[in-house]
Amino acid sequence: MHPLLTHLRGLAAYLLGWWLVGMAAAAVLVPAVHSTWGWTLAFCLPVASLTALAALAPYYVCRSRPLKPARWISALLLRAAAAIVLAVLVAGAAALWNATGLAFGRAGLVALPPSAWLGLVAALALVFILSALAHDAALAQQELQEAAELQARARLHAREMELQALRSQVDPHFLFNSLNSISALTHLDPAAARAMTIDLAQFFRQSLATNGLDRIRLDEEVQLVERYVAIEQRRLGDKLSLAVQADAACRAALVPPLVLQPLVENAVKHGVRLLDEGGRIEVEARRAGTRLELRVSNPVESDAPRDSTGLGQGLRLLQERLDVHCSEPAFVEVERAARQFTVRISLPWQT
Amino acid sequence: MADVSLRALIADDEPLARALVREYLASHPDIRVIAEAGTGLEAARCIQDAAPDLVFLDVQMPRLTGLEVLQMTGLRQGVIFTTAYDQHALDAFDLHAVDYLLKPFSQERFDAALERARRLLRSDLPGIERLLGAEPLKRVLVRDGAQMRVLPLEEVHYIQAQADQVAFHHDGRDYLKPERISDLEAQLDPRQFVRVHRSFIVNIAEIQSVERTESEAYALRLRSGKRIPVSRSGYERLRGVL
Repeated sequence: MHPLLTHLRGLAAYLLGWWLVGMAAAAVLVPAVHSTWGWTLAFCLPVASLTALAALAPYYVCRSRPLKPARWISALLLRAAAAIVLAVLVAGAAALWNATGLAFGRAGLVALPPSAWLGLVAALALVFILSALAHDAALAQQELQEAAELQARARLHAREMELQALRSQVDPHFLFNSLNSISALTHLDPAAARAMTIDLAQFFRQSLATNGLDRIRLDEEVQLVERYVAIEQRRLGDKLSLAVQADAACRAALVPPLVLQPLVENAVKHGVRLLDEGGRIEVEARRAGTRLELRVSNPVESDAPRDSTGLGQGLRLLQERLDVHCSEPAFVEVERAARQFTVRISLPWQT
Repeated sequence: MADVSLRALIADDEPLARALVREYLASHPDIRVIAEAGTGLEAARCIQDAAPDLVFLDVQMPRLTGLEVLQMTGLRQGVIFTTAYDQHALDAFDLHAVDYLLKPFSQERFDAALERARRLLRSDLPGIERLLGAEPLKRVLVRDGAQMRVLPLEEVHYIQAQADQVAFHHDGRDYLKPERISDLEAQLDPRQFVRVHRSFIVNIAEIQSVERTESEAYALRLRSGKRIPVSRSGYERLRGVL
């Protein structure tokens, strides 16, 4: 169906435009054929309405035979033929309508000379040709827009895949160090070696399970963090502790997967691990109106380098992932106090 | 062999990783572990104070990496590198054919590395000089009273030779390190430090102006106001960089 037919206001404006044309034609005809306004309008307005509807018909021709460089001559001829056929049909219908004047004892609603009927056919053919060309232009424009949208969607999709691939990469350093710890424990403490093997398996199983998911419950993400920290605790001993603060409602909220775990991993690597006395990593989730606010903070060395570009890149990646995942804006903020490093994330609340 | 006791240092930030090396060492009674270090700084301190014959050195340690420990202490002998995974480091090791133990490693692989280290004992590790020379020095280990301290070189204003030591001028103080100024010069980033005089190396970022003295010679004025003499060849080097 023609798009205008589903768009009521557009259709009304279009018809109104054609009625104005009809009235203009009547204004010309009234003195020319010495008729009254009433009879002339009775002829012109219905004909204008019919022309308006007929002028939409080339849309179907344009859509089925678009103007392509290879076959533009035949396409153009087709448009011309369609325009002439339409013009003849509309003029024929107009003549029939005019003949209803016979019922009132007149020669017609308006008495037009034969040359005027020829002129009408020519004018209508011209209108329909122009209509066809306007439709061609509109369709080409629409096609361009669709192609651009498609391309934008494809780009977004590719970026998402890329980010997903990046985050699903297991940190090999973490894996091999853990295996080395297990190797040491097999002799020192076989039970601990077994427990650590299970921790490691569960951690990887869960991160594999979230792979490809769009959203997970915050609860699941917290579990992943706890498993990760359990493994690191076996390696670092009592140096490392974790405190999670999140109520049941927050735990049921939906978040993109791996929104916290990489931050906690950074907190261990660049924070607690470097401190002789160790420290506690705090994870907090709370609801603020329509948003979910997450916080990860950890102690750092007072003279730690402030630039740590690797960390900056990780946060950029996180921001980008949130942008792709969230319909509303999400924010990642870093706060560096003398001995405390804090990352805050604010994202739309979703359940 | 058993009559020659070797003194070993185990440097790794993970207690379990150190325990593993100890366990593997149990079958080598001629090796005695004299210390364990949990950070690069501790390792460097121990190397300088106790001069161990063998060092099991983790490449990724907090504070100072294993390679920085070697750069800073000048140790080139009896080092067995251990590493879990660090593509950058591994590429460099492979490039210079320096042996290393990949975690987790077996007793057999450990024994083979130890055997190789014993053969090379008291001679520099092959490839090590090129490995360490590939990257310019970024930090130095200096004495601060009885303590050791790591100075970031970008914060050092200038370096002055004093008898058989060099003094790093940092934050209004001088920190001494026993080293020859020409050896140090070779390790520095030539885009950041210039040897302007027999006894002086300056940080280019700290230079405020170049002045001419009455005797047709040149001198540098640093941001801190300090004046540093410039020799004729030093002036040429300086012009080449600036």
